[in-house]
Amino acid sequence: MSQAQIQQPHHQQQPNKNVDALSQGVEDLYLESYAFTTAAGIVGSVDRKVFVLLRDGRNLFGILRTFDQYANLVLQDTIERIYLPNNRYAEADRGVFLIRGENVVMLGELDIDKEDTAIEEMVQMPFNEADKEWEALNAERIKLETQRAKKLLKVSGLTSDFVKSDLY
Amino acid sequence: MLPLYLLTAAKNQPMLVELKSGETLNGHLINCDSWMNLTLRDVIQSSAGGDQFLLIPECYVRGNHIKYLRLPDEIMDQVKEANIQNMEQRNFNRHNQGRNNRGNFRGNKRYNNQGGRNQNQSRGQGNQGGQGGNGGYNRGGFNNATQ
Repeated sequence: MSQAQIQQPHHQQQPNKNVDALSQGVEDLYLESYAFTTAAGIVGSVDRKVFVLLRDGRNLFGILRTFDQYANLVLQDTIERIYLPNNRYAEADRGVFLIRGENVVMLGELDIDKEDTAIEEMVQMPFNEADKEWEALNAERIKLETQRAKKLLKVSGLTSDFVKSDLY
Repeated sequence: MLPLYLLTAAKNQPMLVELKSGETLNGHLINCDSWMNLTLRDVIQSSAGGDQFLLIPECYVRGNHIKYLRLPDEIMDQVKEANIQNMEQRNFNRHNQGRNNRGNFRGNKRYNNQGGRNQNQSRGQGNQGGQGGNGGYNRGGFNNATQ
């Protein structure tokens, strides 16, 4: 296949004059416009500030220094942030992280100009308090989900795919 | 520099290991391997709730149970420095090796510690052991002799 063919877009859509805001730049989302689609896709995010969501629901913000084929990540100057209902959040400095790839749900690059716009409208609270509250919320969720799973099995013979360690 | 390289370079450093279960281990890294299995010394193990603590002199962690490791802030700089030193040392060695083994153009010389009974040093003494059947031709690091 020639290079020209690869770069040709899939869809032969006529250019629409009144494109709504949502579908603007949608071409960029086609996979063929990316050089890498697997773990190597984050090569462009090295030495940039990224956001990482872990399977236990933790949000980490830091500078991505290295990664490997398992998506093991090294983050520097990491901040852990907890978001709580009613527009509250809390932060704690965490330093250097080496995250085992299995536990990563997603990673995204941050726009350092815009990253704080969301939390500007939120109220910061002490991390210890926030952590306690968050743990409580998780415990409650686990309880609810296990109840639901039991009911589901009894009533309809279905199983639930909820796992205690998946709190993201 | 891969994450596991950073880990191997962090030997003897204090670190915090959190397991998938939520337990945390605070200790100094003794050793690690490419599966991220670790041995730690002087470990404080905290339960997931953070209400129970155990002091363990030495422990082994199977890599697949790890959620993440927290390393000291200085580690990045230290590893960078160590890396540069390593490179310099390697360049120095390569330079010297070339001088000491003139004629061994393949550069794959046998080291003394590689085992095997009839080592033919490339210094030119020929067969030392007397048993070596393939005198002088065993240059490429293979031990062809069958005894």
